[in-house]
Amino acid sequence: MTWDDVAHKDFRDAIRSRWLWALSVVFVGFIGGVPALLFGYYAPAEASAADLFGAAASMPLLGLSLSYSGVLAFVIAFIALVTSHGSIIDERESGTLKLLLSLPHSRLDVVAGKFAGRTVVVAVPVLAGFLVAVVALFATSTSVDLSTFAPQVALTLLVAAAFVSLGVGVSAAARSNRAATVGIFGLYFLLAFLWSLVARGFPSLLDAVFGRLPGVDRMAAETIAELRMVVKYLNPLRAYETLVAELYADTALGARLVKAGFREQAILQESLGGGALPVYFRGWFIFLILLAWIVVPAVLGYLSFRDADL
Amino acid sequence: MAAIELDGVTKRFGDVTAVQDLTFRVGEGEVFGFLGPNGAGKSTTINMILDFVRPTAGSVRALGHDAQDGSVAVRRRTGVLPEGFDVYDRLTGREHVEFAMRSKDVEADPDAVLDRVGIADAADRTAGGYSKGMAQRLALAMALVGDPDLLILDEPSSGLDPAGAKEMREIVRTEAERGATVFFSSHVLGQVEAVCDRVGIMREGSLVAEDSIQGLREAIGTDSTLRITVGGDVIPDLDAVEALDGVSSATTDGETVVVSCRDDAKTTVIATLEEDGVTVEDFETSEASLEDLFLAYTGDDADEGTGAGGAAADPTGADDAAGSEVEP
Repeated sequence: MTWDDVAHKDFRDAIRSRWLWALSVVFVGFIGGVPALLFGYYAPAEASAADLFGAAASMPLLGLSLSYSGVLAFVIAFIALVTSHGSIIDERESGTLKLLLSLPHSRLDVVAGKFAGRTVVVAVPVLAGFLVAVVALFATSTSVDLSTFAPQVALTLLVAAAFVSLGVGVSAAARSNRAATVGIFGLYFLLAFLWSLVARGFPSLLDAVFGRLPGVDRMAAETIAELRMVVKYLNPLRAYETLVAELYADTALGARLVKAGFREQAILQESLGGGALPVYFRGWFIFLILLAWIVVPAVLGYLSFRDADL
Repeated sequence: MAAIELDGVTKRFGDVTAVQDLTFRVGEGEVFGFLGPNGAGKSTTINMILDFVRPTAGSVRALGHDAQDGSVAVRRRTGVLPEGFDVYDRLTGREHVEFAMRSKDVEADPDAVLDRVGIADAADRTAGGYSKGMAQRLALAMALVGDPDLLILDEPSSGLDPAGAKEMREIVRTEAERGATVFFSSHVLGQVEAVCDRVGIMREGSLVAEDSIQGLREAIGTDSTLRITVGGDVIPDLDAVEALDGVSSATTDGETVVVSCRDDAKTTVIATLEEDGVTVEDFETSEASLEDLFLAYTGDDADEGTGAGGAAADPTGADDAAGSEVEP
């Protein structure tokens, strides 16, 4: 296996581009600058990092319910996709892939190396941003609980890796740069902006179909609400958001219901509040979904790339 | 064991058959020139040996491994100069070679190999600023890393000036002396003649000839060209010359007589002219060039290839071209 050689080359190549440095500025500004401003100027004394990073910080803005971690995930996903969507198809179109594959690398090495290299390209500025955030938190005497802050950093790196995997996977499977770009940003649009429609629409559609079938009962309101939540957390952005929320929330159910509507909250509190959460709403299961997003897109991309004529 | 072994290999891209039932082998230590006009299937064949594309039918083996299942093992002992490649714009020449060394687990001095291909002075520049010829040399440097058992060079002279093409031939020769098998493709013919033990000629996806240069020449029986500088006032009697056994054509512009004939007819031609009263001041002969052989095998649709061949490097090629110009 020589994937590490490919990753090393890829990272070395990437640090020469202005891109990595622009990324660092964005992340240092967003991850580090926001806490510095917030806790330096606006926050009351005895503020805690949880006021920004925690789920409680979900604030209504322009009619949208935004949380800092939710917005952070949007930004990181976008940047991870921009960083990775050309990783393989660009080499294929320019011909550098022939130079790369003239050396003893397997195609698996290429996909794995690209994934590792581009993940590091995104992870380094993210870590730099968090480092600045920590400095800002200490400088403003804001209390930081490392037992929540460290896992949050780790989850942030994982969601970045998930979107790098998506970008590398599409890049490996695409036949042209244009196809990769359209595919990637279509997927981003779906996951970042249209997902609530999918999560709402799919169970309703299913219910409507059931209504038309003879001998099949319509679904109960609780079933529809639960199904909506299942679909919602299949999205890595939502999975990340609820996992971060769980770090700060009192109960797992509270974390699952973060940003849910009033009616939904009421229904689900009623149906799920009593006993143990079903497996598919537990933290570790949602975490597995996030991990699956890191593995599956790159593997599917590899399988297509493996069988392709270059 | 053969270095390269193809057996009944066919490759189709959709409706287009790029390579049709191709069978040949290249022995260890051999220098094999793979010839043919553009689009004859040379690069497709090389791409199958390197597992860039997969055959529709047949088997491809290299260095004792299946070219597909054992591709990494093959490439570990193979240096490749691919066709239609590009370099990494932001990495320097040295970084390219270092990457090749890392990938092949070779500890060596990157500057030494850069020096060997003649771009040591550009080692610290990013390859994005390299000319086509420099990029070609850089890829060759990467191919030479680790003294490979097999060198596969796809159109190695493209982008090189005549001096560069000559250096390339010298490197091929040195590598062959070291014991490496060299397999290279070309539509530029002059370079092939000088370095190849054996050549294969591709046409429309099939191998139409496979032999040594000498063997090809004998097989096709192409005439030599005899160029005679004449003096005096006597107009040479070309009819008498053309009537000789073994002469296929004779032309003159008044100062030189150009005769196309078999080798053994040369003396008779000169004797006949002298008997006729013509003063023979000087004469030279040139053998049929590979270009002529090539044309004979591939037909006139190889125009592009032969044009480049004449212009690229070989002075004998240029002479032959002049010879055919004076024909009516």
